[in-house]
Amino acid sequence: MTDAILEARGLFRKFGDFTAVGGVDLSVVRGSVHALIGPNGAGKTTLFNLLTKFLPATAGTIHFNGRDITAAGPAEVSSMGIGRSFQISSVFPHLTARENVRVALQRSLLSSFKFWRSERELKTLHATADNLLESVGLNDFINTHALEMPYGRKRALEIATTLALDPELLLLDEPMAGLGSEDIDRISELIANVAKTRTVLMVEHNIEVVANLSHRITVLTRGRVLAEGTYTEVTNNSQVIEAYMGVQHA
Amino acid sequence: MSFADIHVSYLLSQLLVGLINGAFYAMLSLGLAIIFGLLNIINMVHGAQYMMGAFIAYLLLTLLGIGYWPALVLVPLIVAGLAMALERFVLKRISHLDHLYGLLLTLGLTLLIEGAFRQGFGSTGHPYQIPALLRGALRFGTVVLPVYRAWIIVASIGVCAATWYVIERTRLGSYLRAAKENAPMVQAFGVNVPRMINLTYGFGAGLAALTGVFAAPIYQVSPQMGSDLIIVVFAVVVIGGLGSISGAIMSGFALGLIEGLTKIFYPEASNTIIFLIMMLVLLVRPAGIFGSIATIAVGHSINVATQRSRELDRAAFLKIAIPIFVVACAAPFFVFPVFLMETLCFALFACAFNLLVGYAGLLSFGHAAFFGGGAYITAYAIQALGLPPEIGILLGVAAASLVGLVFGWVSIRRQGIYFAMTTLALAQMIYFIALQAPFTGGEDGIQHVARGKLFGIIDLNNTMALYFVVLTICGAGFLLFYRIIHSPFGQILKAIRENEPRTVSLGFNVNRYKLLAFVLSAALAGLAGSTKLIVFQIATLTDVHWSMSGQVVLMTLLGGLGTITGPLVGAFLVVALENYLAPFGSWVSIIQGAVFVVCVLSFRRGIVGEIGAAFKSLGTRDRRKNKIVPQRQRPADTNLR
Amino acid sequence: MPNRIDVGEKLLKVRDLHGWYGESHVLHGMNLDVGKGEVVTLLGRNGAGKSTTLKAIMGMLAKRSGSVRLRDSETISMRSDNIAHLGVAYCPEDRGIFASLSAAENLMLPPTLRKGGMSIDDIYSLFPNLRERHNAPGTKLSGGEQQMLAIARILRTGSDFLLLDEPTEGLAPVIVQQIEEALKRLRATGYTIILVEQNYRFASMIADLHYIVENGRVVDRVENHSLDGKLDVLKKYLSV
Repeated sequence: MTDAILEARGLFRKFGDFTAVGGVDLSVVRGSVHALIGPNGAGKTTLFNLLTKFLPATAGTIHFNGRDITAAGPAEVSSMGIGRSFQISSVFPHLTARENVRVALQRSLLSSFKFWRSERELKTLHATADNLLESVGLNDFINTHALEMPYGRKRALEIATTLALDPELLLLDEPMAGLGSEDIDRISELIANVAKTRTVLMVEHNIEVVANLSHRITVLTRGRVLAEGTYTEVTNNSQVIEAYMGVQHA
Repeated sequence: MSFADIHVSYLLSQLLVGLINGAFYAMLSLGLAIIFGLLNIINMVHGAQYMMGAFIAYLLLTLLGIGYWPALVLVPLIVAGLAMALERFVLKRISHLDHLYGLLLTLGLTLLIEGAFRQGFGSTGHPYQIPALLRGALRFGTVVLPVYRAWIIVASIGVCAATWYVIERTRLGSYLRAAKENAPMVQAFGVNVPRMINLTYGFGAGLAALTGVFAAPIYQVSPQMGSDLIIVVFAVVVIGGLGSISGAIMSGFALGLIEGLTKIFYPEASNTIIFLIMMLVLLVRPAGIFGSIATIAVGHSINVATQRSRELDRAAFLKIAIPIFVVACAAPFFVFPVFLMETLCFALFACAFNLLVGYAGLLSFGHAAFFGGGAYITAYAIQALGLPPEIGILLGVAAASLVGLVFGWVSIRRQGIYFAMTTLALAQMIYFIALQAPFTGGEDGIQHVARGKLFGIIDLNNTMALYFVVLTICGAGFLLFYRIIHSPFGQILKAIRENEPRTVSLGFNVNRYKLLAFVLSAALAGLAGSTKLIVFQIATLTDVHWSMSGQVVLMTLLGGLGTITGPLVGAFLVVALENYLAPFGSWVSIIQGAVFVVCVLSFRRGIVGEIGAAFKSLGTRDRRKNKIVPQRQRPADTNLR
Repeated sequence: MPNRIDVGEKLLKVRDLHGWYGESHVLHGMNLDVGKGEVVTLLGRNGAGKSTTLKAIMGMLAKRSGSVRLRDSETISMRSDNIAHLGVAYCPEDRGIFASLSAAENLMLPPTLRKGGMSIDDIYSLFPNLRERHNAPGTKLSGGEQQMLAIARILRTGSDFLLLDEPTEGLAPVIVQQIEEALKRLRATGYTIILVEQNYRFASMIADLHYIVENGRVVDRVENHSLDGKLDVLKKYLSV
């Protein structure tokens, strides 16, 4: 029995009468890169928000490392070891890259409520922050304000910030969205590196990237799992082809 | 008091009063709900539009001999016309901003308009005769029903019903309802949505004016007739559901009746009952009784335009702080020390407010509760309990912090406009407690509080000694504020303000951080109030009135939200304005209102913020002059035809 | 019977269209032509910029530059309601059905802009399901019914140039069939349509011309009869 770091069973999410996610089972193997794909309106974003606990499930369970996190909130699961990124790159615009990462590192300190202490105490975190920035190729941007960085670099910064939490599981929401081909290569390499010591679950549209990086793919359509397997298995599945390309009419 | 003791006629007459009030609440909330639903503007100036309705009717009668019946048609048209001009030339300019700016702008307009009317017509009330047709009374046994009151009830129900019908059952109404949901889509169908918005605003204002005409024969026509009413109406709208038409009508009438009933059975609570209900509703059903979840999506933390301003690092801060300190030490020998002390206290108050709005991103409309609360507790401690000044101040700060903890815990669950309304409601309750509680001296306040001797040594009756004590206290407060924002805690606040969902996803319990910021802000505000009490030796209702909350918003906005020295500058200017313009009566209000409006329209960064931005851009200009920018190659045209 | 396509008369000429969502540069110089009576599709994967192009043409994209000539008027800086008056109608990807209105109110909402709009009877004959559901609130309609309603209501306006964003997305095959029939009938009556689709087989049943969009640019232009020959190209761009 393979070791599943994240296990979702029978997940449902309804908005009034509309069922966005209708009974999804998902098992993410520890140490793998797992991709979630599907045509528009398939429910990928909703499912992603259920897994990152930004949206509560109408029914079903989610287990992380064997623990039931179905009722937990986003801040809670973050401290348990789940880190997430956002579809539109989410950084702190008026902070420098180093300060961005430092915020994430502050979580490990107990001093975050101590309003009477100087922020100079935070200097101890700078070495770690700078190392993380270097690992994503941002050494030249350490003191640059995030809003001045090109979009691809903001994406890298966001990943560095997520890594600062030292998460076991990384949930990435369309990491390649809005990136040019150079940045796509860079970020793909970054994810591949990161995945060597962690588990990654990503929602993605870019099939090339999915083909190159993922060990396992889950195809979603109309709120349900259509197929699951390796890239080859999934792309040769006739139902998947039909969902993407449509049935040939007579 | 048992039910049997109350005369039926008394009961009915109180209910009638409640119903009349309810009629006014309903009509005014209806206008607000319509405006909010479509324009997403909290139309704070609604009270002034109501007042203008009453006043214009009065003027039409006394100057042109135009009576009540034509006024019912003319006055709403006039006020609607003015409102449409306002929307087209002023409100539209800020429609893309956080809607709390709309609230600030319309608040400024209220000050301006009410000040102008006070200046022109004095603050006493003017009578308006009930029209001949509606005089007299109907008798039902022992119950007397004045004809005019009956007319109000019938007419207001008619107006509300007609408005409801147009919105819910006609084609025009379907455009409004659709645009409320998705304006760009309606516009893509070819509907001139900007014009529709303009007409809708005019209609809402016209409705307020019509209510004013209805009110003129009952209440005295005075410039401030709208200002205390509007706060209650906002509470009604929040209870009914921001943007809900039927909610506004039904809660208006219902709350008027409830208020009437409360006056019979428990008169002390009649002022606060609506706010209490609002608190309960916000806790249990945040979208309001008839509101929908869609409208609650409106709430979010205020995104302050200030972030562009430079954050002062330690060296720069000292370069500014030391000269200011030196000046402050020398100043009392040249300038009237009491004026300086007033400035220092208000600067501290503004600084406390700035901590919450500029650094935590939470706009509170109830800070007067902490300022005035601190003043009252300190006054009581010194005068009634005979405690020395330092203990009095400590108790004031402690009380303000405690109130801050409670208020914060209740309000923080909501964001944006709901947060602001909650703080306003809570502060109104404190106001009414101050009005009625035995120890606060009611309308007189607590007067002639002895200054005493600080630590038994420093005689605070010596003005110079007092000045340096106040300087020390306020200086310590500023330094604490500086340390707070430059602490690990301050960093997280900054992160929350910059991108709250990201901060949540990094594992921070943001509500706890916000709550701590709220308590710290309340404590500093309480310190400011307590110190002011020592200086002026009096604590009055003005200190806890919502206009005081508005004053501190003005000071901070003028000086610069989210800047360090902004509050000091803002406080100085506003206090100077008040003191030196005092002999000119209402000009203070007019100018303050105008400053508010100008700031929101063009100087959102405030004085210090604008100066900081100017310096920054000067810097970049120099850098760009020296840099050689290589010409980028234009990509070949990829037209494949 | 008049010629369905007036050769040489271009209804829409788009040149070097750039578009931004905030600071995100999404359209990098779109160029396309649509003749009167033509049915044209924009094919491409998610995020290519197809929906954004429709929004830009309709005037619903705040920051845009370049040239969009619609019936000889330059519309690049026009407001969307003025563009609508030129006889264009837009059906967004999320259908834009108003939840607070009933189905009938939704249907009657768009004002009649030109003569020649479909009558209610014609609309109900095109989409029979809608007749029974006319009193239902907007939220209670199924995905297929919402899509039909979204198309139906713009047919009332008299606009003969339609911009349809993924009309078959997430719909069951039987409903897709109905929509295909409806669009074929519109095409036969001389409507001009730009269709955004990921489902190229559906697109091939209706369209005359396909523009393949990638990264905010047109990278290929394929006439419908040549489509099967270019299957590899398509698979590459549609990424399956």
